[in-house]
Amino acid sequence: MSSAPAPALEDKAPPAQLAPAGAAKEPGFLARLAGHPKAALLTVAVLVAVVSALVTSSGTWPGGWTFGIRSPLSDAESWLANNRESHPIFLYFLLHISNAAESSVDTLVTFLETLGVFGVTVAAVLIAWVAGGADLSRRALRTAGTALGAFVVIGLLGMWEPAMETLGLMVVCVAAAAIVGALLGLWAGLSDRGQRILRPVFDTMQVLPAFSYLLPFVLIFGVDVPSAFVATVIYAAPPMARLTALGLRGADKTALEASTSLGANSWQQLWTARLPLARRQMLLGLNQTIMMCLSMVVLASVVGVSGLGAEIYTALSTVDTGLALSPGIAIVLIAIWLDRTTAAAGERLDDPCQGKGGPKTWFVWLGVIALTTAGTVLGSILGKQEWPDTWVIAIAAPVNAVVDWVETTVGSGVPVVGGTITLASGFATYVINPVRDGLEATPWWALLLVAGVLAYLAGRWRAAVTTVLALGVIGGMGLWTRSLDTLSVVLAALALTLLLGFAIGTFAARVGWVERAIRPVLDTLQTMPQFVYMIPAIALFHGGRTAGVVAAVLYALPAVIRITTQGINQIDPSALEASRSLGSTTGQQLRQVQLPLARSSLLLAVNQGVVLVLSMVVITGMIGAGALGVDVVTGLAKDDLALGLTSGIAIVCLGILLDRISQPGADVKGDTSR
Amino acid sequence: MTTTKNTGATKNTGATKNTGATEPTAADPAAPAFAVRDLWKVFGPKADRIPGNPEYRILSTAELREKTGCTAAVRDVDFDVQRGEVFVVMGLSGSGKSTLVRTLTRLIEPTSGSIAMDGEDVLGMDKNRLRELRRRQTAMVFQNFGLLPHRSVLDNVAYGLEIQGVGKAERRAKAQEIVEKVGLAGMEERRPGQLSGGQQQRVGLARALAVDPEVLLFDEPFSALDPLIRRDMQEEVIRLHREEGRTMVFITHDLSEALRLGDRIMLMRDGAIVQLGTPEEIVANPADDYVRDFVRDVPREQVISVRRAMRPADAAESATGTELAPDTLVVDAIEAVANSGEPCRVVEDGRTLGIVDHERLLAVVAGIDGGSDTEGKEVAAI
Repeated sequence: MSSAPAPALEDKAPPAQLAPAGAAKEPGFLARLAGHPKAALLTVAVLVAVVSALVTSSGTWPGGWTFGIRSPLSDAESWLANNRESHPIFLYFLLHISNAAESSVDTLVTFLETLGVFGVTVAAVLIAWVAGGADLSRRALRTAGTALGAFVVIGLLGMWEPAMETLGLMVVCVAAAAIVGALLGLWAGLSDRGQRILRPVFDTMQVLPAFSYLLPFVLIFGVDVPSAFVATVIYAAPPMARLTALGLRGADKTALEASTSLGANSWQQLWTARLPLARRQMLLGLNQTIMMCLSMVVLASVVGVSGLGAEIYTALSTVDTGLALSPGIAIVLIAIWLDRTTAAAGERLDDPCQGKGGPKTWFVWLGVIALTTAGTVLGSILGKQEWPDTWVIAIAAPVNAVVDWVETTVGSGVPVVGGTITLASGFATYVINPVRDGLEATPWWALLLVAGVLAYLAGRWRAAVTTVLALGVIGGMGLWTRSLDTLSVVLAALALTLLLGFAIGTFAARVGWVERAIRPVLDTLQTMPQFVYMIPAIALFHGGRTAGVVAAVLYALPAVIRITTQGINQIDPSALEASRSLGSTTGQQLRQVQLPLARSSLLLAVNQGVVLVLSMVVITGMIGAGALGVDVVTGLAKDDLALGLTSGIAIVCLGILLDRISQPGADVKGDTSR
Repeated sequence: MTTTKNTGATKNTGATKNTGATEPTAADPAAPAFAVRDLWKVFGPKADRIPGNPEYRILSTAELREKTGCTAAVRDVDFDVQRGEVFVVMGLSGSGKSTLVRTLTRLIEPTSGSIAMDGEDVLGMDKNRLRELRRRQTAMVFQNFGLLPHRSVLDNVAYGLEIQGVGKAERRAKAQEIVEKVGLAGMEERRPGQLSGGQQQRVGLARALAVDPEVLLFDEPFSALDPLIRRDMQEEVIRLHREEGRTMVFITHDLSEALRLGDRIMLMRDGAIVQLGTPEEIVANPADDYVRDFVRDVPREQVISVRRAMRPADAAESATGTELAPDTLVVDAIEAVANSGEPCRVVEDGRTLGIVDHERLLAVVAGIDGGSDTEGKEVAAI
């Protein structure tokens, strides 16, 4: 981690580094720049920024250029609070949504309670078993075993009740998100116009941090389940829609042509060929939707939804690692259970040996219902509807003891390294602060120039205009300094993420067993909700900006590693073979063949890293990192929505800005969303 | 069967065998299976201005693309497919043959021209009639199989019947029968992914046969297969044609395949017809240098008959010697001449047409028998 000053390079070092290098080389720096108009443009912009920063050394957005957005927002909030019960748009539309959401969640939670410990566990295990193939194969048994283990441990940790609350909201959200997503996906998959309209919308939605989805709905529905429900559905539906459309569009053209040549009409073709051929992709979409629902439902604790998220939220706000760990583990277990179950169903589709179930499927599902009922009845006879308190293992105290021990042992005073707390404050002082000071010292117009040029290079005029507008909105709302503060944390975390991600990813791509070893770890990490990443961060660093950076790095790293490894592994093997046959060294192969050919993947990894880091940094506002995130949390906690919403808008602007700047070009951007 | 049939085409499925030509509504029993006239398919902006314009007609494909931005995949094509024949369309990739076969059932909509199937105008058909035609009168076999991976072999074969609305039990029984016919018995419950390429194409063939079509359309069906498997499949097609006499339109880029299967071969280049004739006509009398280049390596003795190789008999010869039928292949004649040690007579209806001797037969093998003899002229006539 000592190699971290990298982010500072981003806006200062390039000209300083390039100039001597250029002077040393024969053609001359300026001459070479003239040959590369893009590089020249960027160099000029950066030079302007650095020089102006050194000259003016203060560059806040001019105070006269702000527009007061907070008072109209407050007015809107109070108007909504007064009219929520009476205005027609609520009476005839919005209240129906919120009532339906609330009552269905209530019904489900009550239903889960009625099933009791036995009923729920039996049902979960059996569903996992059916997804795995409903037989005695290894896959079916492993999936069922995962489910059993997950639920037993949740019970043992004393998290049964909040877990059921989370699960109830989850089920409703997943159902709604899957239906909405599938319908939108059908539209985008079958109609070119649908694709043209939805694609940019989804692209933008993918960039926005999860946090920013909650705020507008809190404004409309108030703090509770309905706003969490609507935000979750909107947040989680895109992957289902995207992958459904992808599956429908990517279907084997000849199979579709064959069905047309046999005289199928459009409905017959949709039902017998298109949809079945898209099944695999749709299931993948469902998997992603479920994971995003879980992430959001947990996050929704900040708008007052009870459940596992709320347990963590409470614990985090008092920096109590022990208390946060139990719900954290419970969430991870639920994530693993859901992921393995849907993944097993997907594997089964891929398996060509799988015969068609027909009547067997009906029989199996009847069996599931019967056994679940039996479990429920058994539970109520035994009088054990809830998880018995005596079976709970309290881990909070011992965990806290361990954390304290770790803190006192490695927190500070370790020779040479210094200890985690020392490192954390060092990182904040020597890395994040200089970046922030540098950003704040640069005049606003110079930053606009740099951002605009970067975006122009990535995506031409459209991106440049969007970027400049986004920065303008931030400045106009009077959040210039706060946003730069957040940006400095994001840049620090991004630099670390990319450094580690490229290094590990390249290593894994070159050494087979490393990839095999880290792949399951990455799989698990990628399924975990964002909330969970903050627990180790506060355990080691006590909160603050460094903890936020660590959480963001942990969160974004798996995706960056994966894309890097895939990109390097996917290059044309004959190119590598040719290079090897010419006798190149490992380093030469890497530098001259693998990395250049994997360039588009690496750019995609940067883009994904940016998006994920920002999303996480904002959430770590809860543990005191990232200024805008703190404002959002404060706004929600103190019921000052105007504060939360303006910060939310600033976050959205930052997200769009960072995405446009790091956009690898539309053709390489794939579907690697979480 | 009657309960599930739609009203559009009433035909007796039993009678289609061997004739390959029962009549849907408005069909003319004497008409060819397909009659194609002035057919154009142009891809590109404002494609429909190309066919009618004499200025564009004379341009080559490259010139046309440069001048108009359009690509003419099929250019002014005329031909008839007779009932019961195997009609091979042959050409290199990009010659427009795959586009041509798709225009026959309007999987690709032609730009201009006319297509009649059994005398009925295909381009004038409305959506429902066209669907009926695709369901019952034609069936297609594709290069990349186009099977549905989530269905068993049996359900894949029954797919066309399912689309027609045939009940489950009935369509599975029919599919079972066809599966056995193409030699896939015992594999009914497998998935396409578990089969080899050759087996998958047998499924594709069975799916086409299951709907009992008048015309089978093959779009390079065996190009993706290994040479040995390809040979097996070609023999399967020959066997099916011998047993059922169904009309077949067969697209290929493989000359030996075309020569093996085709009753007649239509050679295409850049969307236009270069030559149309029997295999023997094409090998013996190539229409131009392009075709000549194409057929240069063909073992001529296996394609050319003695009718083409013989010379007039003089009086002494016309009474003695081994008799050969006029369509005997040269390769067989060589054997007969070698065995008897003397020239053989080509005899039709007891009349001696001519004589083949060592010299004439060797000339055929060596390719120096000349392409400009009198019989060559008739090749140009379609």
